[in-house]
Amino acid sequence: MHIPDGFLNPYVCILTYIISFIFLFWAWRKVKAAYPRAVVPLLAMSSAFVFAAQMLNFPIAYGTSGHLVGGTFLATLLGPHAAILSMTIVLLIQAIFFADGGISTFGANILNMAIIGALSFYVVKLLSGSSPSQKRFLASVFAASWFSIVLGALLCGLQIGVSPIFASAGGLLVTVPAMLFWHIIIGVGEAAITTSLISQLVRVRPMVLNGLAILGWDTR
Amino acid sequence: MRDLAKVLLAVIVGLAILLPFASAYPDGLETVAQNASVEGPEGLWHGLMPDYSLPAIENPYFSTLASGLAGIFLVLILVYLVGMAATQKKFKR
Repeated sequence: MHIPDGFLNPYVCILTYIISFIFLFWAWRKVKAAYPRAVVPLLAMSSAFVFAAQMLNFPIAYGTSGHLVGGTFLATLLGPHAAILSMTIVLLIQAIFFADGGISTFGANILNMAIIGALSFYVVKLLSGSSPSQKRFLASVFAASWFSIVLGALLCGLQIGVSPIFASAGGLLVTVPAMLFWHIIIGVGEAAITTSLISQLVRVRPMVLNGLAILGWDTR
Repeated sequence: MRDLAKVLLAVIVGLAILLPFASAYPDGLETVAQNASVEGPEGLWHGLMPDYSLPAIENPYFSTLASGLAGIFLVLILVYLVGMAATQKKFKR
């Protein structure tokens, strides 16, 4: 879902840059206010894992593939604020060193993947309730990670749909349904991977999720 | 810290094992663009490791693996630095 340079019109680039900067500023402030330094190594390691996982495309159907984005994974592990920062850094490294996702479209990519992925934390929280059973917690992670991909794809479809280069192909009426179609399927992969990762972590290292207590949320 | 080194090793080994099985098919957005016969204009920036490969290494597997390792360490270092900058040493509730 990394939008390359040239796929968006300049207004969409500027608007998404502005929205993303507002969220980055908010995330930075929150991390400064609420996160202890002790979570930094875990944050760095889980971000490096997400980068590696994003290189592994899985085939879905009709000659199309998808890969983990990992926003919900990071947000469930470390809360939404740290997740926005770390996901943005993953996208930055991908754009600068690998030209995976453009520079002019960087704001849109932050919005569609880092911000939507990180905010899915609140979907997990909403669906889990205050003191969820493990089953309900994992079901919430599954639903939230699927939803984060579909919502990100919807935004991406809207962004490219208003771009002049997609106009002759039919614009929004084509891009939005097409992006949704593929990512409803890819989202299932995202949800399956995220849920199995989180459930393994809960089983092997329940301590890891205790980090979320810093955000006032007890997952047990 | 020791645990994290083990996780890092597991991530690298996992990537090395799974990389040959990664799908080369276009992803969702690339398929949508292809079906719309949209090709982005030649970008100005191609990255230092275009398409996740090191131009210096000929073997495609090792080329991609090496670029992946470089990316893993770049992310690790940058997130660590930003994380240190964003948190205080003495954290007061």
